[in-house]
Amino acid sequence: MNAASLPLLQNALTVGAILFSLGLVGILTRRNLIVMFLAAEMMLQGISVSLVAWSRYHGDFGGHVLVIFVLTVAACEAAVALVFVLQAFSRTGRLDAAAWQSLREATVGRTIDRELPAVDTVPPRFPTLTPAGVQPATDADDALEREHV
Amino acid sequence: MNPVPLASGGLLAGAIVATAASLWMLLPNGREFQSTRRLGLLLGAAAMLAFVAAGRRLGGLGEEAVFLLVSLVAVVSAAATIVSRSPVYAAIWFALSLTGVAGVLLVLGAQFLGVATIVVYAGAILVMFLFVLMLAQPAGLAPYDRVSNEPFLAALAGAVLLGVLSLSIGRLSAGVPACCAPPARAAAAADAAGAATDAPTAAGTTPAAAADLAAGPPAAVAADPLSDNQVARLGAELFGRHLVAVEAAGVLLLVALIGAIAIVSRGEAALAAEADAVRAADRRTSR
Repeated sequence: MNAASLPLLQNALTVGAILFSLGLVGILTRRNLIVMFLAAEMMLQGISVSLVAWSRYHGDFGGHVLVIFVLTVAACEAAVALVFVLQAFSRTGRLDAAAWQSLREATVGRTIDRELPAVDTVPPRFPTLTPAGVQPATDADDALEREHV
Repeated sequence: MNPVPLASGGLLAGAIVATAASLWMLLPNGREFQSTRRLGLLLGAAAMLAFVAAGRRLGGLGEEAVFLLVSLVAVVSAAATIVSRSPVYAAIWFALSLTGVAGVLLVLGAQFLGVATIVVYAGAILVMFLFVLMLAQPAGLAPYDRVSNEPFLAALAGAVLLGVLSLSIGRLSAGVPACCAPPARAAAAADAAGAATDAPTAAGTTPAAAADLAAGPPAAVAADPLSDNQVARLGAELFGRHLVAVEAAGVLLLVALIGAIAIVSRGEAALAAEADAVRAADRRTSR
């Protein structure tokens, strides 16, 4: 522990806060169930960074122990959540959170996708290898033989 | 934070330039000129030595630079996770973000947690997510991946939350509240206050006591995560003070395992029953 640990604590807490806020935005906006769970895991990561930063500042292991339990709970949550996601997918055929909107509150309006953005018509560009050299003349019968083991 | 001495900065800059030059000499350039490569090797070794020397003399700068780098990786790839439309890309960006978070944890002195984050999250949980994605993702971008719920309001909520958190983090500079001050510092502050009030009476005895208190109680020094045998002492703490919690976590893992299997098997039974009912209805209508 040295006197310079307060700026480090503040920097690490800021990183944790940014991760938590990004996870919050993700879980609020995204509709894919898997991406929503990724955002939830990101919030857990932000909490872990903050806990370890405080642990470093205090010079004890309390935050480390808490983060170990956070890891445990995250593993349990991922197992149960993925089972739920698979069941939901096998019932609706979609990974869409809005497919389950009949569970919403009575006062909340329905989500209806009326004006979807146009489907990407530009195909994704993958790197290609330029053909190099002359294509060798191949004999179909040669391919069946093995000259070398 | 001490200002970086000029000589150390020059040493670091020299090390960087030497590394670049040695790489330029070592890279294949179509000519077989042995003396250039040998010179490059020598220059590279000198650059490594200069890096080590500069790292020793710079002190805190290395830690700060590494922290900046890994936290940038974590935050930028976390943002990319949120905004990327393809969920597969989101999962891969999340893996990069986990790498950054593990780096932050390592800089903060949590060696075991840094490694455990990589192993548990990137190695197990993320691969499970990717597996489910590959199993359940339709070809191309699904419509629900191309829109999001209330992006403006959600971004506003995130900004407000981040602003409030930054305010409270910034207020730490004014002074850590008494509840959250580390024990050594709290003792030192109490000692300073005590010395201010009854300085004349305790003038003869305070120096040694003040030194003791400023160094913190021996238990706190022994629990400092940055000293030797960190993982062993973390294990002792975990299985000593928190043994009941460890047992509870084990029970939680077992319950999650059984629960996941139970949901799968009941769900499959329900699906099979549904399929049977549909088949029976078909038979009835065909008759």
